[in-house]
Amino acid sequence: MYQERPEWEDVIPLPQDDGALPLAQIAYTDEYAEAMSYLRALMAKDEHSERALEITEHIIEMNPAHYTVWLYRANIVFALGKDLRKEVEWLNEKALRHEKNYQIWHHRQLIIDKLDDSTGEADFIAKMFQKDAKNYHVWSYRQWLVKRFGLWEKGELEYVEYLLEQDVRNNSAWSHRFFLVCGNGQELTEEIVQRELGYVSDNIFLAPQNPSPWNYIRGILQRAKLPMSRIEKTCTYYAPLDNPEKIKSSHALDILAEIYSTIPEQKDLAIQSLDLLSSTYDPIRTNYWNYRKTQIQKAAA
Amino acid sequence: MATTSSRAPAATLALHVEKHVHYITTLDTAKDTLSYHLSEHLRINGVYWGLTALHLLGHPEALPRDETISFVTSCLQPCGGFSSAPGHDAHLLSTVSAVQILATIDALDTIDTTLVAKWVAGLQQEDGVFAGDEWGETDTRFLYGALNCLSLLGKMELIDVEKAVEYVLRCWNTDGGFGMAPGAESHSGQIFTCVGALTIAGRLGEIDGEMLGDWLAERQLANGGLNGRPEKLEDVCYSWWVLSSLAMIGRLGWIDKEGLVGFILGCQDEKKGGISDRPNDEVDVFHTVFGLAGLSLLGYEGLQEVDPVYCMPRSVTKRVLGN
Ligand SMILES: [Zn+2]
Repeated sequence: MYQERPEWEDVIPLPQDDGALPLAQIAYTDEYAEAMSYLRALMAKDEHSERALEITEHIIEMNPAHYTVWLYRANIVFALGKDLRKEVEWLNEKALRHEKNYQIWHHRQLIIDKLDDSTGEADFIAKMFQKDAKNYHVWSYRQWLVKRFGLWEKGELEYVEYLLEQDVRNNSAWSHRFFLVCGNGQELTEEIVQRELGYVSDNIFLAPQNPSPWNYIRGILQRAKLPMSRIEKTCTYYAPLDNPEKIKSSHALDILAEIYSTIPEQKDLAIQSLDLLSSTYDPIRTNYWNYRKTQIQKAAA
Repeated sequence: MATTSSRAPAATLALHVEKHVHYITTLDTAKDTLSYHLSEHLRINGVYWGLTALHLLGHPEALPRDETISFVTSCLQPCGGFSSAPGHDAHLLSTVSAVQILATIDALDTIDTTLVAKWVAGLQQEDGVFAGDEWGETDTRFLYGALNCLSLLGKMELIDVEKAVEYVLRCWNTDGGFGMAPGAESHSGQIFTCVGALTIAGRLGEIDGEMLGDWLAERQLANGGLNGRPEKLEDVCYSWWVLSSLAMIGRLGWIDKEGLVGFILGCQDEKKGGISDRPNDEVDVFHTVFGLAGLSLLGYEGLQEVDPVYCMPRSVTKRVLGN
């Protein structure tokens, strides 16, 4: 308890005033309530000191989602000129224990930005991804690192491929690949498009019903201003319209419908693809497939 | 690989209105100290969620008006922003909730709206996005929140709407969705904030609704629920964000309504009231309001109409915005 410690004697704690609204009232543990009342007192005079740092740690330990404490802590760390590497180490342990928390990542961004050095960050992120390779906050942070430190071609693509080998259904990794391939204003040369087509078809082979590589290649072709018919062969392989029993992917059917709808002579094939989707391969979206059919019929009329 | 849908039969489930009202109004007596003190930073948000749920349920009187006003005004800081609870720092998300609460109970005249609007407008950054507070963390959630509360306050002229729209459009991905920052993975929560911001700004025409609708409709799973990203689990809150986005772009009809109604009703705690993220999980007020809002948007009988842009009763936004 702070009230029994001499180094806190000069601080008059500011207790919480909860007001009378039932829905707004919160029952505290005594330890948390006491620490908060001392924190409020220090924040009121904007004290930057070792004991202030200590109390932020204590409160973050109990409630890492309390954003005001994080902001106060960053201020103290910078004001006291603390060792930023030590702060990062301390953060590592917090991040591993509180995966859903994003204040931690904002704090990390402030510290690493000030440090002006991303050494060790990829290793730590790998540890986070061992727990959850789709963690949105961590991926956002990684994209910030790539932009801040210009890491576009520093092993990022290889790392994405490693993650997709672990789990081909990791949509976040596919999204990061798109960010790497298109996010720096690069030109999508035919060579790059070929490489991506090859990579995607290898991965579709592993799981034809996985939506991510289909969405991915759709995006690449769009960005390169190339027609969807570049992947027609892949689509007919997984969705042979002349042999519907052998269809292995609703996404292939979806793209086939898109390709055929643009060619007047093949609009019947487009309609057939959409019918197969609503009757058998993706019936929960029947309303949507029917809408696509009426669009094709309207265009033909 | 033909899929068969295994959704809960909506016809056999009912909405437990009285139980939900009881659940929300007795939240204070739940002495679950751990989860209660952990949500301290969400306190004013919690009041907004509970109040909105009660209004949608047709029991607006269940939360005492005077006490609500005095709690909210006690969170107003000298800078013009609101904090999550008295004695905390002002934050944009708390400020949005405060304005939404006061608008809902027709009490905006109890605060200096110009002071509040000026504080919010001051959070806009050079590139058009908004920070959550003076510390500069930026996010499209804050941008949406700023437009939400400034439009309710009738003070949109204080900000550079054009720049805000440009920022939102930079977060637009080739798959039709939006991410948290330019280049970030499409995510239903971020889509809601971006589409909501564009709707408030009157600039929905800038995006391709067909492609976005396709991505959103793809979120529905065979059990009727909707997920937030490809290959993730269905969840009541994501169901709301996807559904309201579809409503804003005029494509609500693209999903299987009966399937989703069945999924949400199946997430109710039939004994103590409240709605959880998915069937048989612990209920909370956050999923309760979004579950009810989803049902309302799907036209479920007996609920007040919800506004998909603001997640507030439609009667309130009509009164405040005059349209
Ligand atoms: Zn949820």
